[in-house]
Amino acid sequence: MNHDNVVYSARNIITMNPSRPTATHVAVRDGRVVATGSADELCVNGARLDNRFADKVLMPGFVEGHAHIMEGLMWKQPYVGAFDRRSPEGKVVAGVPDIDSIVSRLQQAEAAMPDDNSPLYAWGFDPLHIGGKMLTRQDLDRVSTKRPVLVVHASFHINNVNTATLELADLLHATDISGVVAGADGLASGELQGIPARMRLFRALGHNPLAGTITEADVRRYAASSCVQGVTTITDLHNDLNDPTIEVYRSVTSQDDFGVRLVPALAAVSHTPEQAIAKLEALRQQPSAKLHYGIVKLVVDGSIQGFTARLRWPGYHNGAANGLWYIAPEELPRLVDKYHRAGVQLHIHTNGDEATEAALDAIEAAQIAAPRPDHRHTLQHCQMADAAQFRRMKNLGVCANLFANHIYYWGDAHYELTMGPERASRIDATGTARRIGVPFAIHSDAPVTPLAPLFTAWCAVNRVTSGGRVLGRDTEALTVEQALAAITVDAAYTLKMDHLVGSIETGKYADFAVLEDDPLSVAPEKLKDVAIWGTVVGGVVREAPRA
Amino acid sequence: MRKATATIPVTVIGGFLGAGKTTFVNHLLATGGPRTAVLVNDFGEINVDATLIQGHDGTTMTLTNGCICCSIGTSFIETMCKVLDAEVPFERIVIEASGVGDPWKIAEIALIEPTLRLDRVIVLADASRIAALIDDARVGATVRSQFERCDVVLLSKTDLVDAATRAAARAAVLALRSDMRIVETTRDSLPTLASLDAPGKVSAFRADSPPVDHRETFRSFAYRRDGAFDRGRIAGAVAALPPELLRLKGSCRLDGEDAPQVFQMVEGVWSLSPSAPEQSESGIVLVGVGTRDLPPPSVLDAILDRALAAGAVS
Repeated sequence: MNHDNVVYSARNIITMNPSRPTATHVAVRDGRVVATGSADELCVNGARLDNRFADKVLMPGFVEGHAHIMEGLMWKQPYVGAFDRRSPEGKVVAGVPDIDSIVSRLQQAEAAMPDDNSPLYAWGFDPLHIGGKMLTRQDLDRVSTKRPVLVVHASFHINNVNTATLELADLLHATDISGVVAGADGLASGELQGIPARMRLFRALGHNPLAGTITEADVRRYAASSCVQGVTTITDLHNDLNDPTIEVYRSVTSQDDFGVRLVPALAAVSHTPEQAIAKLEALRQQPSAKLHYGIVKLVVDGSIQGFTARLRWPGYHNGAANGLWYIAPEELPRLVDKYHRAGVQLHIHTNGDEATEAALDAIEAAQIAAPRPDHRHTLQHCQMADAAQFRRMKNLGVCANLFANHIYYWGDAHYELTMGPERASRIDATGTARRIGVPFAIHSDAPVTPLAPLFTAWCAVNRVTSGGRVLGRDTEALTVEQALAAITVDAAYTLKMDHLVGSIETGKYADFAVLEDDPLSVAPEKLKDVAIWGTVVGGVVREAPRA
Repeated sequence: MRKATATIPVTVIGGFLGAGKTTFVNHLLATGGPRTAVLVNDFGEINVDATLIQGHDGTTMTLTNGCICCSIGTSFIETMCKVLDAEVPFERIVIEASGVGDPWKIAEIALIEPTLRLDRVIVLADASRIAALIDDARVGATVRSQFERCDVVLLSKTDLVDAATRAAARAAVLALRSDMRIVETTRDSLPTLASLDAPGKVSAFRADSPPVDHRETFRSFAYRRDGAFDRGRIAGAVAALPPELLRLKGSCRLDGEDAPQVFQMVEGVWSLSPSAPEQSESGIVLVGVGTRDLPPPSVLDAILDRALAAGAVS
């Protein structure tokens, strides 16, 4: 023991280290955990006792294995989703559950803007959450008939705009373009999607509101949201990693007051495998405590609720046509093979089970051609995998990161529209993954759903939809302990960072989530309500902002 | 609103992986006319004669013949905008669509972007495997959708297959659309864009291709008048058109308005949008497609004449 040790006392420390699952004290030095134990064991050799957490519960800082830096960008704009959401300032922003309250929130935002006809952007809208109602240009004309008003959907694939925007972009009459939806009057309804309509929109506005360079302020907002939710390691799971972004990430994560470990995944779509491999090799030359490169992300299909996920027979429950391949199934093995041979860890987006099958086929072929131990390729979302596919994952050494938040947000849509009762009951099959022994995490895909690992854990434990329907709780639900592992050490495992973070044990970073209550002693249905005081990252204590 | 620049023709090249899109793009780059911008998915596969390359900055390759080749890379929209915002406008833009994408969804850009007009959609099909791909359980729907609205199919690698395979490939493509124009090619006999121009083809406007149903025989219909439509009367006339007329498209003048308009009607839903200045100097030219039960032209002419402005000479 060393006299520089700081020993934190706590009401309880849930270590997620099975050899010493709980403790009352943790000793920290140089940003790392020296040991956990009792006061007697740790308060020796001049160690300084710090009682500030004496009434708190410490856990390993949460690890969000699938989120996007976009979460840090969106809060510059008003939120118009149906559910409450916490901002980076710690403020609970109430959901707006119908068209009138959406319009009224936008009117407020509009009134606060300068009278210069600059555009008003908003985000988070999902018609599935307000009874299938779509925002029309007439609704948004109540916000402004002069300035452009744009609302981007929770999916980020669809925009709804007002008449002024349609006129500016010359799209009011362009309903013969497939992405320009016609309203009852034959003119554009204001719903725009697809490349041609989006390109016209951005050219008319002079820019793409969601593109442009990521700034330090954006990354700091992302870190602030992480702190508010007890997250100490967060992914940015699909990024082109152009030079300005790389520089912003390097600069901001090297600052002492930056409070989260960032794990970007390089987007395969914008690189050839050779380029991506060379880029990662260069990036990994500069090791950094709060910036961890190494993952490449492949996107195989779309989303289930958008009917763009690729499904095996019998397809969509409501008879919708099968979804879209973003990478052709015959192209996937070539890509996977190149990255696999180069030692890269792949995170592969597969929502539908046909996409999952294509990914498993590709990984199996790569493993046969060039066996590689402990590759930890991870299927992201992997929402529809059945038991046979989980058995293949187990045998191939593949991990899964399951989208537990989907159960709550779109579980009703999956039951009624997309999957039907049987498949909806085993969506995001955490129970199956456990029984078969596939290492898995659970995630939010923020900003698609809110960043909040305790809420994600609550979803996996309770398996209840926003409409109150229970989906496969008897067979697929996790215990609270299992769910906590899935947002800490098991999530770290899918990032190949479980030797650094994910549990409170000797040698690992002193990264803690500081909680006001003990998640293991509250009722499982209250898990999401456990308040978060803040975080400790590398020994630096950070109280979460509250507003 | 519309810029005074000449409209730039856009050619979209589609086709599934391995169909020969890149080979064709290489050929177009080598034989390209002046100031052609070619947008490609993967630079790595681009293979032009080194003596042709004037400059290369990683995302854009400048050729001595005046063409440039841009890697779509990160964002198609960004790359396309860069090309559109070039200080000196390009004379032609060629876009290679993604192998799993629908080229029509790229082509539509040229229908709404004011400085562009759609030249044509060309889809390549590998003679050795297109028949199998069309029926493939996993990618069949993706492949079939690529042909829905293409103008010409280049059946590639025909020298690598026997006559029976070639015939089967043709039949599979024609089964998707009986009106499909198919040009057989080999690596050494790829056409230029100019050589693909069908003689006598009217290019002042573009009729949408009919819905895909090879069992149906379609009838076309053309309507020409020297006068102008009365904006207020169009809705009534369109409503009176028989449902057998599936699509109607072309250019027209409106009474009291200078700018020519593009008129489009698909299954009763119609729109007007300003057309490019170089298009349609004459009064009204519309071309339609209907089912085999389409009423005779005189009936349709009479209905559309109701939308003519008073005093218009028919």
